[in-house]
Amino acid sequence: MSEEKTITIEVDGQPLETKAGALLIDVTDAAGINIPRFCYHDKLSIAASCRMCLVEVAKVPKPIPACATQVMDGMVVQTRSPMALAAQKATMEFLLINHPLDCPVCDQGGECELQDVAMGYGSDVTRFVEGKRVIPENNIGPLIATDMTRCIHCTRCVRFGDEVAGMREMGATGRGEHMTIGTFVAHNINSELSGNVIDLCPVGALTSKPFQYRARAWELTRHTGVAPHDSVGSNIQIHTRRGEVMRVHPHSNDAINEVWLSDRDRFSYEGIKSEERLTQPLIKKDGEWVETSWEEALETAASGLREIASADADQIGTLVSPTATLEEIALAQKITEGLGSPNIDYRLRQEDFRGNSRAVPWLGQSIASLEDVDSALLIGSNIRKDQPLLAHRVRKAALKGAKIQLVNPLQLDLHFDAAQMVSDPAGMVRNLAAIAEAAGGSHHLTEQIEVTDEHKAVAEGLKCSKSTVILLGNIAQSHPDFTILYGLASVIAKAADAFVGVIPMAANSVGAAVVGAIPNKGLNAHAMLENPRKGYLLLGIEPGLDINNPALARAAMSGAETVVAITAYRSPCLEETASVMLPMAAFGETSGSFVNAEGRWQSFSGTTGPAGESRPGWKILRVLGNLMDISGFDYSSSEEILDELRGAHGGELQVASLGAAKGKIRSAVTGLARIGETPIYAADALVRRAASLQETEEARDAAVARVNPSVAADAGLLDGEKVAVVQGEGRAEMVLKVDANIPDGCVWVPAAVPGSESLGDQFGELSLEKV
Amino acid sequence: MPEIRNYTLNFGPQHPSAHGVLRLVLEMDGEVIERSDPHIGLLHRGTEKLAETKPYNQSIPYMDRLDYVSMMQNEHAYVLAVEKLLGIEAPIRAQYIRTMFDEITRILNHMMWLGTHALDIGAMTVFLYCFREREDLMDCYEAVSGARMHAAYYRVGGVYRDLPDEMPRFAASDLKRDKSELDRLNENRQGSLLDFIEDFTDRFPGCVDEYETLLTENRIWKQRTVGIGVVTADRAKALGFTGPMLRGSGVEWDLRKKQPYAAYDKVDFDIPVGLNGDCYDRYLVRVEEIRQSNRIIRQCVDWLRENPGPVMVENHKIAPPKRAAMKSDMEGLIHHFKLFSEGYCTPPGEVYAAVEASKGEFGVYIISDGANKPYRLKLRAPGFAHLMAMDEMAKGHMLADVVALIGTMDVVFGEIDR
Amino acid sequence: MKVFIDYIRSLFLLELLKGLQLTGRYLCAKKFTIQYPEERAPMSPRFRGLHAQRRYENGEERCIACKLCEATCPALAITIEAAPREDGSRRTTRYEIDLFKCIFCGYCEESCPVDAIVESRTYEYCFENRGENIMTKEQLLAHGDKHEVQLAKDLEAQAPYR
Repeated sequence: MSEEKTITIEVDGQPLETKAGALLIDVTDAAGINIPRFCYHDKLSIAASCRMCLVEVAKVPKPIPACATQVMDGMVVQTRSPMALAAQKATMEFLLINHPLDCPVCDQGGECELQDVAMGYGSDVTRFVEGKRVIPENNIGPLIATDMTRCIHCTRCVRFGDEVAGMREMGATGRGEHMTIGTFVAHNINSELSGNVIDLCPVGALTSKPFQYRARAWELTRHTGVAPHDSVGSNIQIHTRRGEVMRVHPHSNDAINEVWLSDRDRFSYEGIKSEERLTQPLIKKDGEWVETSWEEALETAASGLREIASADADQIGTLVSPTATLEEIALAQKITEGLGSPNIDYRLRQEDFRGNSRAVPWLGQSIASLEDVDSALLIGSNIRKDQPLLAHRVRKAALKGAKIQLVNPLQLDLHFDAAQMVSDPAGMVRNLAAIAEAAGGSHHLTEQIEVTDEHKAVAEGLKCSKSTVILLGNIAQSHPDFTILYGLASVIAKAADAFVGVIPMAANSVGAAVVGAIPNKGLNAHAMLENPRKGYLLLGIEPGLDINNPALARAAMSGAETVVAITAYRSPCLEETASVMLPMAAFGETSGSFVNAEGRWQSFSGTTGPAGESRPGWKILRVLGNLMDISGFDYSSSEEILDELRGAHGGELQVASLGAAKGKIRSAVTGLARIGETPIYAADALVRRAASLQETEEARDAAVARVNPSVAADAGLLDGEKVAVVQGEGRAEMVLKVDANIPDGCVWVPAAVPGSESLGDQFGELSLEKV
Repeated sequence: MPEIRNYTLNFGPQHPSAHGVLRLVLEMDGEVIERSDPHIGLLHRGTEKLAETKPYNQSIPYMDRLDYVSMMQNEHAYVLAVEKLLGIEAPIRAQYIRTMFDEITRILNHMMWLGTHALDIGAMTVFLYCFREREDLMDCYEAVSGARMHAAYYRVGGVYRDLPDEMPRFAASDLKRDKSELDRLNENRQGSLLDFIEDFTDRFPGCVDEYETLLTENRIWKQRTVGIGVVTADRAKALGFTGPMLRGSGVEWDLRKKQPYAAYDKVDFDIPVGLNGDCYDRYLVRVEEIRQSNRIIRQCVDWLRENPGPVMVENHKIAPPKRAAMKSDMEGLIHHFKLFSEGYCTPPGEVYAAVEASKGEFGVYIISDGANKPYRLKLRAPGFAHLMAMDEMAKGHMLADVVALIGTMDVVFGEIDR
Repeated sequence: MKVFIDYIRSLFLLELLKGLQLTGRYLCAKKFTIQYPEERAPMSPRFRGLHAQRRYENGEERCIACKLCEATCPALAITIEAAPREDGSRRTTRYEIDLFKCIFCGYCEESCPVDAIVESRTYEYCFENRGENIMTKEQLLAHGDKHEVQLAKDLEAQAPYR
């Protein structure tokens, strides 16, 4: 039978054309005919366990579930016939038998599918007078509140864990009346996509813990927005009440995030209400921070920068965060240019700039197309933690049979089958060179490598597939040999007829590059700090946490005359380095645009007023520009800026080479090599202040030094012991964790976590000392 | 010679006989009205617009505040419209309760009208007597709904609660009244609400006789009302008059007879009609209406006594379940929760429902798009059409007659300004 | 002829005298006026006066922050903020009724699943300063505590009807 064959069925007297083999419930959904359901979800497998979608089909003696019935030509379906209604009513009655009378205290009340369906299809009186079942509580972590007594066993959460999150964390135990959904052994749910079970759960069994009891669905105003963390640019709904962001939900967009949302995007809104929010302009007077008026602060900032610029414009350096909006970055760029300085950069975590290209690093293809690849090589990417929803696409490809291979400096805990090639950072370069060699590419590192069968297998895997993609992730971009890695990736791509792309780190990394926050002839992010400038303009940056080499950044900025920090948060490292702090509106408070990994421009508007005296970043920069007498700062809305940017940079992104270097391998070290990953919940200022995310195991385990057992044994260190990590001048005390996933000769010491501010490059030489 | 110009007089909105917030701009030729121009809107609260933003049930209390002297009749029109939209009908007992309270409301309204109308044109005592009887009826309001005026008692699908079996009584107080005095006050409060109303219907015709003694033959009253504001039957129809204003002009039109709703087709009553269409005839019509209302109430009391039963539809997709059910059964709780948070959805469509309110035809027109709140709500207030005839009725009369005209129209700005 | 008789009759002021006779009768009749505030008019247990919040017998506040009253309030007079209390139970952190907005329709009482918010018999209250129109949770609870006996009695009396 041909899949494409068009057939006609009749539902409630309405003829519907559809493809043979489609599910009945999909056909009726498309036609706008509502069939009640609990267990069915279009992104999950069919369970047909709730029996709510029973409908009557002609010539079938019993009602049958629409979610598990394929349509056939000439099928006649009744969704509201007496038989169907009776079946639905009976099902509803059974579902409510064990449901507790919790509506008034249940967070789902008002947006509960069980309530809605009970109203629409159930009986209005109960016949059940016996006792109800009660299930003891268990705690599954700081993000999800559970009340399994309310569970109706639709198993959506179980299927989600199995099919989407890739972690079978929840399951059903017992049978019949005694069936319970839960974690088999009491433990937390740790998936980076775990929050989605909150949306999936049709009842109040799984609800959001940070949002617990805070508001009712009907009080909330929904604003569509764009998630501010990873470069997927997930579409979200920001729910506000009386000028306060209450929660964040996914907004479905099949091209981007489908219906999912990563926990980081979902729960980071808590950071908006952090106590560290800067709500008043601050200036440093005689080493003391004093609150001041906007006029004075802006005047101080403008005159400070202008003075330096009038003496030597090259002494100004601008560093912008890739989480800032397109408009903010463009204005920062315009100010820098207006002051006469060529120094601006957003690539804060990049160390290797030898390629010196102004090309835009992006995915090189659409996000959705990732799930159709046959083979993928991920270089230096902890994709699951860095870009959870891209990882989901890759996982889908893997489940379809794609061969996924990784070259990384640590063994990753992945939720799909993949071949991982693990080595120290320098070894990554050699491994890649060997793969290039095996694939038949030519490169300059030929004499330093040894091609093994493993390399040949990888090369073979890449070459013998139809659609192949090679992606460089966060680790690769922070790697001291990023340009070499990129060059080798290009060589392999050429040899294997693959597509090479970079997974941008942050929400607006691509946007920053598009609007030109890359130095043309000026200094890049690293050079600006290596050769300290007299004046710095920082947009949304915490120097101790957001820069590849925080020690260098802090030294350079502490020595500068004027450091103007436009920031949403007040933090110790800013207090130490900045001279003026201008409070900026945080996530949800400002309008703006992001360009995501696939080059899609997405705009959003402010949902609440900025906290305290803070103002949207673009307004601050506009006034700064005016105060410095730079022309062209007469915008009255962020849309005006956007229109201008669209005109200048709005074209399709081209796949361009990032400029491969043929330098020597810089990552080779003699002692222990640092693997300085940025943990998932430390990626930017907002998420670092999201209280509930910081309570997760993932975040609590982040600020540790990890070594493998043999390194630990060599150094005479034990698991759980406190050690001092010494990198150059910097020294940080951390708990040591023995972790077999770390290769020999390496220590995993994360960046952007407390304690890492004094350390140097994310990848470099370090030593461990007993405390 | 200087040019002779008409004098323009602002009448109201603070004038006590402007019945609230009517502002009349009168063009006078000496003391004779040349032209009168009513300005409205000073009591506009946007009820129609507000109703578009709330679930159906939440607008019921706002209906009380339209014609705020015939509260339950407004509610009645609204709930009838929604019931029509939903295709449901209130139980028969609720229909009788509504009929009874509509008529109690009519008496309340006409008493208010009579008292103030008489006061405006010079009779003080009637006002006091009318308010004495109003007090008893307000007690009935309070006994069923808990509020003396803004009852919010009618619900879509019936009425909120059944009639109480006990009437609240006067309590002994610090003032040393002897027991017999207290017993006298509580004499008619010994039984249920129905007993109390029955007692009222027994007493009430005598009270109406008293008002008539004071007014009907009174020469001052007649001088102030006979031949004032004459509207012919044709003009009355053309001007959109309804209610006593229309019947005073001799047109026999009453929705209770012509399009019976609630239990009006099951009770006996007559429609009084005037002959001349002047203020005096309208007075006579209204007084007779009060007597007829009393008849209807009496019939309802008798029926209600005999026929206990539900006062609300038992369909809990629309009417919230009983509290006991809400507290003990899951379906009940869910329906309670959803009805009080979201309400019910009506099928898409348009309906118009009207009741014969004290002042005329009070109509509610609803357009529904299938949501839980009206897409559009339009209120047809009888007083609006009546007030618009002010110019025609006042032309050629003296200034003092304007007061009689406002009185005879029985304008209430709650409904006119909405 | 009739006109003539009517005219002669009118000279005797008969209808006016009849009216005077009526009022004269009431002059001597027993008074039915009651002396407020010492005496009060009877009050129905359904009376909808000033709001109060009730507690359980053990002193625990009844309100569980379900927000049905807030949702059903036609005048948007109720403002509730809620959060988990230390013991993990669902409680209001803010419960305010704006008495300027309130239209005393009684829907809050109808909607409350735990009989927490009720309308008491209190009808004599006044505000002397701006802001006093907002009744806070503490005031509501205090008002409830003061009248709990009467409130419980009225609710019980009404239970069969609701």
